[in-house]
Amino acid sequence: MTIRNMDDAKQIQMDRMRYTKNTLSSRLVYLAILFDVLFFVSIYESDVGNWYYTALIGASIVYNLVFMLVSFLASEGVKNYKISYGYMLLGLGAGQIARIFILPMLAHAALTKRSDPVLKKVVEVPVMEGGQFTWVIVCLALSAACCLSAGLIAIGRSRKLTAYNASLAEMK
Amino acid sequence: MANISLQHLDKIYDNNVQAVFDFNLEVKDGEFIVLVGPSGCGKSTTLRMVAGLEDISGGRLLLDGKDITAAPAKDRDMAMVFQNYALYGHMTVYENMAFSLTLRKEDPNVIHKKVLAAAEILGLTDQLNKKPKQLSGGQRQRVAMGRAIVRNPKVFLFDEPLSNLDAKLRGATRREILLLHKRMHATMLYVTHDQTEALTLADRIVCMSMGRVQQVGTPLELYDTPANLFVASFIGLPPMNFFTVKIEKGRAVGAHFTIDLTEKEKELLAEYEGKEVTLGVRPEDVDEGGNVEVQVYSNENLGMNTLVHGRLGEAHSADSAITCKLRGWCDYKAGDVVKVQFVKRHFFDKNTTNAIR
Repeated sequence: MTIRNMDDAKQIQMDRMRYTKNTLSSRLVYLAILFDVLFFVSIYESDVGNWYYTALIGASIVYNLVFMLVSFLASEGVKNYKISYGYMLLGLGAGQIARIFILPMLAHAALTKRSDPVLKKVVEVPVMEGGQFTWVIVCLALSAACCLSAGLIAIGRSRKLTAYNASLAEMK
Repeated sequence: MANISLQHLDKIYDNNVQAVFDFNLEVKDGEFIVLVGPSGCGKSTTLRMVAGLEDISGGRLLLDGKDITAAPAKDRDMAMVFQNYALYGHMTVYENMAFSLTLRKEDPNVIHKKVLAAAEILGLTDQLNKKPKQLSGGQRQRVAMGRAIVRNPKVFLFDEPLSNLDAKLRGATRREILLLHKRMHATMLYVTHDQTEALTLADRIVCMSMGRVQQVGTPLELYDTPANLFVASFIGLPPMNFFTVKIEKGRAVGAHFTIDLTEKEKELLAEYEGKEVTLGVRPEDVDEGGNVEVQVYSNENLGMNTLVHGRLGEAHSADSAITCKLRGWCDYKAGDVVKVQFVKRHFFDKNTTNAIR
């Protein structure tokens, strides 16, 4: 028997990691992708006028594609306890936090002219108004939280598994 | 404890074809029973009825005295190992073995202990992280067995588990199954059409033909005292030689030979005086010397023995063909004539095909 103490629950839990995948981290990454997609489809919901049609739109689309691709890759990596993908997820989580301060904040601060049918005159309103602004921030924050927690769990578990495997190798 | 009682089991399909007729068997706890017979004889159907994969048309099935005739497969506490392994290709060996326990929502730590213990028994500890496609046929079959072991069932059912393996691997896996049985002392029902498997594995063999049980007994009983012509011809390799002989004044007179009967045989065949019976002689019970002339047409050296195929007399009838398993290395050429004797003889009633005892 490779396991040292079959009565020690912690020991068994550790040994189980040798044969089971880190599905928790992997599923958290899938959730992060889901929230990212929700964010991305939500930013087109309001009438942003011409404000959004700059280089920003290209950059945000490209980053979104890269995020989905890399995070999916990382989800497979952390599933197999590869520590480097855990660090990658920490980076992606930080990126999602940074995105809160780019598109949503800028759009919320910017004003656009719109004709008001009640007042029957042109008024200035934020490009991204209150409800939508809150929603996209929540989506990005949740996506970031999922990435960060997935990364932290993956790093922790990978380190434990590596140490456990090393101790088994020593025993041999 | 796992005693199984199969009482008057019948299987009739929707198209009114009857596959199993009045099957009766008492399986004792820890016994290794092998159902053997040619393809289509109803052995797999019987096993599937025991497993709950086929409805039982008639009769009763008891497990430890409890009637499970109508119980669904999942409630029978039996594990089945199939010929085609039935492993999940996308899962690792560990996941395949743990799957049934995961479905039962058992504690993951308990599952882990059971899987490791089963892997240890089967020598699969180093393969646990591999997928089935990375394993050999023998290893895959061991995984299938491991999946059964972790469930700790009352009864193990095997449906031709070695049929997909090559001859060498079949022998090795057969020995593993035997060791497994000795180690676990579990009740096992094993279906095969291979008589070698039946003879080497079984505590008792159930020989079947055309949906009916022909004989139940230990391997030695089936080999030494076959109940009828079918069992005599099915058990033993090469198969038994059969000749029609007439019992006349203490002798058995065939078309091409006459042999003197022993006192015991005379007593046994007293009521067949003047009648025809079937004489059966196993190839290994034919020795050189004696007065039966065999015209050789092929000679196969097996090392310790030589298989001599020939015929008695000139006729090319089925009744004249004979196979002799002679001791040692013989170099007979086609056309040579060898004089042989029948050391041990079996007699069968020509009408009923039953052994004369």
